[in-house]
Amino acid sequence: MKFAALLIPLLFVALFIFALFRRIRLYDCFTEGVKEAVPLVLTLFPYLAAILMLSELFSESGLADAAARLLARPLEAVGIPAEIARLVLIKPFSGSGSTALLSELLSAYGADSYIGRCACVAYGSSETVFYISAVYFAGKRKKLFRPILISLLANFLGVAFGCFLCRFL
Amino acid sequence: MNLIFAAVFLASALVFLFLRPDGFLAAMLTGAEKAATLSLSLLAVYCVWLGFFRVLEKSGLEKKLSSLLRPALKKLFRSDDEEALSLAGENLSANFLGLPGAPTPLGIRATGKFLENKEEYAADLLFVLNATSLQLLPTTVIALRLAAGSLAPADILLPTLLATAFTSLSGVLLLMGAEFFRRRRK
Repeated sequence: MKFAALLIPLLFVALFIFALFRRIRLYDCFTEGVKEAVPLVLTLFPYLAAILMLSELFSESGLADAAARLLARPLEAVGIPAEIARLVLIKPFSGSGSTALLSELLSAYGADSYIGRCACVAYGSSETVFYISAVYFAGKRKKLFRPILISLLANFLGVAFGCFLCRFL
Repeated sequence: MNLIFAAVFLASALVFLFLRPDGFLAAMLTGAEKAATLSLSLLAVYCVWLGFFRVLEKSGLEKKLSSLLRPALKKLFRSDDEEALSLAGENLSANFLGLPGAPTPLGIRATGKFLENKEEYAADLLFVLNATSLQLLPTTVIALRLAAGSLAPADILLPTLLATAFTSLSGVLLLMGAEFFRRRRK
């Protein structure tokens, strides 16, 4: 963990010293980059809002729970514990929601239990597919079926493989 | 995406309509509020990294670094757009190093360039790579395990790394397969 903390300041220091040798006007250049942040966030905003409202409705309506109960059996058949079905289901929609779920699971079953370890690996090996698609394609592309389907499928395969690994690693 | 949005939205809204109609607006507003606060924190993160990346670009260091990766990226993305390729390369490196928030602005710009050139395969590949988590160190998970009183918080590193590699690999293979069949059908 020490190394990870060092990495970011190190990158900045190395780059800025290099830039000074190249006679770059650092202040002007840095602010020029920052200027792009506002329009970027503005273009993302509508898609973020739609996805986050959708994921809130999905989980608050109880639909996420119902779907998780329904999927628990088939998931168990491929070696994913029923207890983490909800996590697997909510992860593609919401990063913060799945983080909260992971921490609930860890305190309920213990971080070092089989279920706790499976939950950690499932969380770590999958991504917030819908959120990323909202951000990356933000209205620039209409047909998102192929990339989203493939990513969801790959995430699911990774979770199944991770739970399998947890049995002996 | 329009189909998924309509289906999930309507199904949830119907549940609200029949079970507890007063919860509907509250849930929508909570979602919108999350979008508002998230956008503010994204704005902060982008300020840091977009400043950093502009200095990287102006200093000429970006060109040097990306020329190292270019041959491999050219083959992988099947694209000749040098600017898009170097953005994609930086996006992948930032993912790998786990710089929080840094990959996104790069990925968005690279995706935009690829789509402008009508290189949908490249755009999809970059998306699939980002949507299958490339991170080396799962820092959030380790922090949560520590907080939950784990005796060996780093215990999940190896299975997570292997599972993540498996996720990305199967994503890329699935996409290559889909592309292969799409081309054959033409």
